[in-house]
This record gives sequence, structure tokens and C-alpha cells, in this order.
Amino acid sequence: MQRDWPDLLGGLTLAALGAVAAVWALVHYDLGSLRQMGPGFFPAVLGAVLLALGLIVALPALRRAAPQPRIEVGVVVAVLAAILIFGLGLFYLGLAGATAAAVLVATLPAPRPGWRWRVALAIVVAALTVLVFSIGLQMTLPLWPRLP
Amino acid sequence: MTTWEGLLFGLGFALQPEVLVYCLLGVVLGTFVGVLPGIGAMAAISLLLPITFYITPEAALIMLAGVYYGAQYGGAVASILLRLPGTPQSAVTTLDGYPMARQGRAGVALFTAMASSFAGSVFGIVVLVLLAGWLSRAATAFGAADYAAMMFLGLVAASTIGASRPAKGFAMVTLGLLLGCVGTDVNSGVQRFTFGQTELLDGINLVALAMGLFGVAEVISNVRDPDRQGVAERLGLRSLMPRREDLRRMGWPILRGSAMGSFFGALPGTGSTLSSFLSYSMERRVARQPERFGNGAIEGVAGPESANNSAAITAFAPTLTLGIPGDPIMALMLGALVIHGVQPGPMMLEARPEMFWGLVASFGIGNLLLLILNLPLIGIWVAMLRIPFHLMYPAILVFLCLGVYSVRGLSFDIVAVAMIGLAGYLLTLARFSPALLLLGFVLGPLIETNLRRAFLISRGDPMVFFERPIAAGFVLASIALLLLSLWQAWRRRAGAGDEVSSG
Repeated sequence: MQRDWPDLLGGLTLAALGAVAAVWALVHYDLGSLRQMGPGFFPAVLGAVLLALGLIVALPALRRAAPQPRIEVGVVVAVLAAILIFGLGLFYLGLAGATAAAVLVATLPAPRPGWRWRVALAIVVAALTVLVFSIGLQMTLPLWPRLP
Repeated sequence: MTTWEGLLFGLGFALQPEVLVYCLLGVVLGTFVGVLPGIGAMAAISLLLPITFYITPEAALIMLAGVYYGAQYGGAVASILLRLPGTPQSAVTTLDGYPMARQGRAGVALFTAMASSFAGSVFGIVVLVLLAGWLSRAATAFGAADYAAMMFLGLVAASTIGASRPAKGFAMVTLGLLLGCVGTDVNSGVQRFTFGQTELLDGINLVALAMGLFGVAEVISNVRDPDRQGVAERLGLRSLMPRREDLRRMGWPILRGSAMGSFFGALPGTGSTLSSFLSYSMERRVARQPERFGNGAIEGVAGPESANNSAAITAFAPTLTLGIPGDPIMALMLGALVIHGVQPGPMMLEARPEMFWGLVASFGIGNLLLLILNLPLIGIWVAMLRIPFHLMYPAILVFLCLGVYSVRGLSFDIVAVAMIGLAGYLLTLARFSPALLLLGFVLGPLIETNLRRAFLISRGDPMVFFERPIAAGFVLASIALLLLSLWQAWRRRAGAGDEVSSG
């Protein structure tokens, strides 16, 4: 047991977000009046409310202990990398290439050792994706990697 | 159109072969994702959105709705066999369903869940038909202030009822409302919080937000989860047969659960998860031997399973007749309809009868299909639970990316999914509810528009929210809920103080 970090950090982050949003809205957008609200009114109020709520969540957490959740850093990195590879690589690697690459990266943190099943899975999923989205739904996407 | 004409008309529409196929596809897929722990109806509906662009909005709604209530059926399977909730709505079924399975009565528990789900759905359909007609007539009396107040009540109810930490719920709702402000302001044309990104002019993409918060975050949380490696036993058809004693015990819980689910499903802000929990605590309260609960009481399966199904159906009443989604999944449905250019509202029943009555008829057909299919297919669903998660999640990730991409054809949205997914995972770890964030996000623009209109009409006088009877009712109910949760928090703190002083 340690200090209640999830509530403390979560609350403070939300409070900071609220403060930034409120100030940004006050500075950049017209506030208007209650009768004729400008574009800044709603976000400014919400930002202030979020600031207050964030503090309400964070401050009591200072004096409280809570079990620590464990962040699966490896899984997070692999999953996000797979999505980014797919999103940014779609036009260079093609649908088949981007899918295979994303699947390979995504399987890295999987609890099962060995690489054969990973390669096989990449090929199967790539084939499935091409079948469903390109041939079945006729999405217009490049299929194969572009040669330089 | 009278109710009977409407139902006949709807049956005629929903029984067309191509509509029937999408209904079947929806319920089977829904059961599939419901059975698998870690993927819920939310992620499945997001995944299916791209496919709906190729079919009519009516068929799309019928299919997506099928996924939703199909998942309610499937969710019970993993809850009973592995003590892993297949969907959040079935979490409470683990309490007595799993002990039943340990006593060798897994088949009976599954039968109870299926039968209760079916009964709850039928009850929900009747309530939906009655309620939708009444709501769309009543909605003509609704003004901007009433809409704003009603949505406010929805948000307050969603963050307080059944929540252990209302402040965290409110924070998520507020963050959602704030994210809903991103994009071009419809009243003034000013670009808010876009930071020069043209991709943000239309706001944050709803599909990207839903996929990130649910799909990606769920995948990350489940990859290394040791609980996921459970193995379910094989089941024969014969083991499903209940005893007469079991049937006798199921009746009242189903009726109470259905009534409760229908009520909370139609109420904005509360939904099927909450109603299943409330039904369970009610059954335990009215039981003659409450100590049987937690040790395989069949009432603890029948009540909640009927409640979550009837709630899943009546939730469509406010969504379709008022255009106000009561829970995050309805918000996603509404988003799907808007992408198709359909704006639900009081005119829906008149203007698009095939959509409303077709959907109602498809509920009946879909639930019948589920009942007929699921009992013999139970063996297949159990076998599904044996597929290891690491063979599924890479494909889920790719499909999810393509689903997001297909909405607008922007790689920006895929990058956004990655960032939202990270945020969603951290929020889930810190026990902030991403579902409430999504609810706020969808309701945000609606609330703001109606709020501004209400104040414009009243010339800036806030009394408009107390002078109109409808608005006043919603505002007073919201205040009552707020006070109640404050009182509960105070009592809890006082109770905690006692424990410390006595210990």
C-alpha cells in the first residue's frame, strides 16, 4: 500500500486540463452574456468545473493509501506502436504489408513464446483483411508495399 | 398508424430476406463478442460501423441493435462458466452463476440466463412500443430548456447512481462535455480548440474516441491478464434441462427484473449495467433465505439477466423519439444514424416508420433467433472460450484501425485512436469511467445548443428552468440526486471515522 497515486495524479491532471481549457477559452473566444452566450461561455464554465472536480478528487487522496495498479508498459508500447505503424504505414506498405507489420509488432508482448505462430498469424490476418475490406467491402486502398 | 398496424408493417419490413440477414448477422456477432471476455458490445459496434456504410440506415440500425442485445445473451456464458464477465452488464451474473457451475449445474444456469434474457426482451419490447408512442407525443411539448434539463439529469444520474465515487464520475462527464466542444461552434462559426488542425474542424471523431477508449484500452488491459487463461468444460444439451423447482423459482425474479430493467433502460443516464445490479440486490432483499445468494441461487441469475435485456431494448425509446441517448452505447447508435444522415427526434415514428417499427419487429425476430440458436449452439460458444486471446487481439487492432479510417479516410484518425487508447487505458487503471466520458462527449453539443437557445428565449433569465414544469421536474430530480450522493458520501466518511475510532 502506498499513497493513492491514481486519484492524486488523475485528479491533478484533470484539474490542470480544466484550468488550461478555461483560460484558453477566456483569452481566445468571446464569452458573451448569459442571454447571448458566445463560443467561449460553455467551455470556460466547463473548464472551471473540471478544475474544481479535479481538486475534489485529488486533495483527499493525499491522506489516503491505495493499492497501486500496475502499468503494463511493454503491452502499451507494443499496441500503440502497432496502431501507429498501421496508420502511418498504410500508404507506403499497402494494406497487406501494414497489416502484417502491425500484427507482428502487436504480438510481441503476448505470453506465448516462439516466432512461427506470430508469422503465421500475420499472414492469416493480412489475408483476411484484404479479403474483407479490399475485396468484400471494396475499400480503395493500396494493397502491396510501394517500391521506391 | 396504430400500434398493431405499425407492428405488422414492421414485421413486413424486418422479414425481408436482406434485412433478416443483417439481423441474424448482428445477433450472432453480438453473442460472439458477448461470450468473449474483454470485447464488449461497444467495441463490436465500433468495429461494425464501416460495414454499415454499405447498407441502408434501417438495416444498419437493426444489425447494430442486434449486436447490442445479442451481447447481453452471450455475456452470461463466460460469467457462468469462468467467473469472467463477458460484458459489464453480465458482471453480476458471476455471483450466483459461477457457484451454480461449480455445483455441476452450469447447463441449468445457462438455460436460466437465456430464458430470462428472452423474457426480459419481450417485456422490454412491449414497454418500448407503449413508451415510444407516448414520448413522441409528449416531446412536442418539450422546449429547449426541457431538453437541456433532461440531459443534465441524465448526466447527473449516470455519474451518481450506483457509483462509489461520484466526483470521479462528474469529472469524466465534464471532460467529455469539454471534448465535445472541440471543432467549429455551430452558432458563431468560431473554431474552438482545433489548434490549426483541419482534421479537428468537425470535432473529434466519435468512432475514433469510442474505439480508443474501449477497443484499444480493453485490448491493452487483457493481453497479459492471467484470468484470461481459464478453460471451460464441455456441455451437453441434456445438462441444460432445468428442474421443475428451478422453473418455479425463476418466474417472479424475471418479472421484477424486467420491470426494473425497462424502467432504468428508458431513463437517460442509467442503463443495463446498473439495472442488472439493482435487480440482484432486490432479489436478495426479497428472498426468504438471503444466505442462498452467492451460493448458486437461481434467482440471482434470472433477475439480472432479464433486467439487462429489457433495459437494452427500452433504451431505444428516448434515443429514437427524443434524439437523446441514455447510455454510451445508445450514443454510439445515435452517432451511426447521424453518419447516415438520419436525425432521430419526435418525428421519427411518422417520418421513418420503417426504421422504428422495423427495429421493433427485428427485436422480436432477433430474440427468437437468439433463443432458438443459442441453446443448440451453446457447445460452440463454450469452444470459443478456448481460443487464446493472443490469437485474436492483433486482428482486433487492425480491424479497429480500418473501421476508424473508413469513416473519413484520414490517417489522422488512426493516430488519434492510439493517443485516445493510451488515455483510456490510464483512465481505466485509475478507475475513472471512460463510458461516462463518452456520454458527456455525445451529449455536449446537444446540451450547449439547447442551453443557449433556452437562455436566448428567456432573455438570460435562469428562472426558465424552474418555471416550466417539465424542466423544473428534471432540475429538481437532479438536485435531489446530487444531495443524495452528497449525503451518502458524508455518511460513508462518518462510518469510516467510526471504524478507525473503534479499531
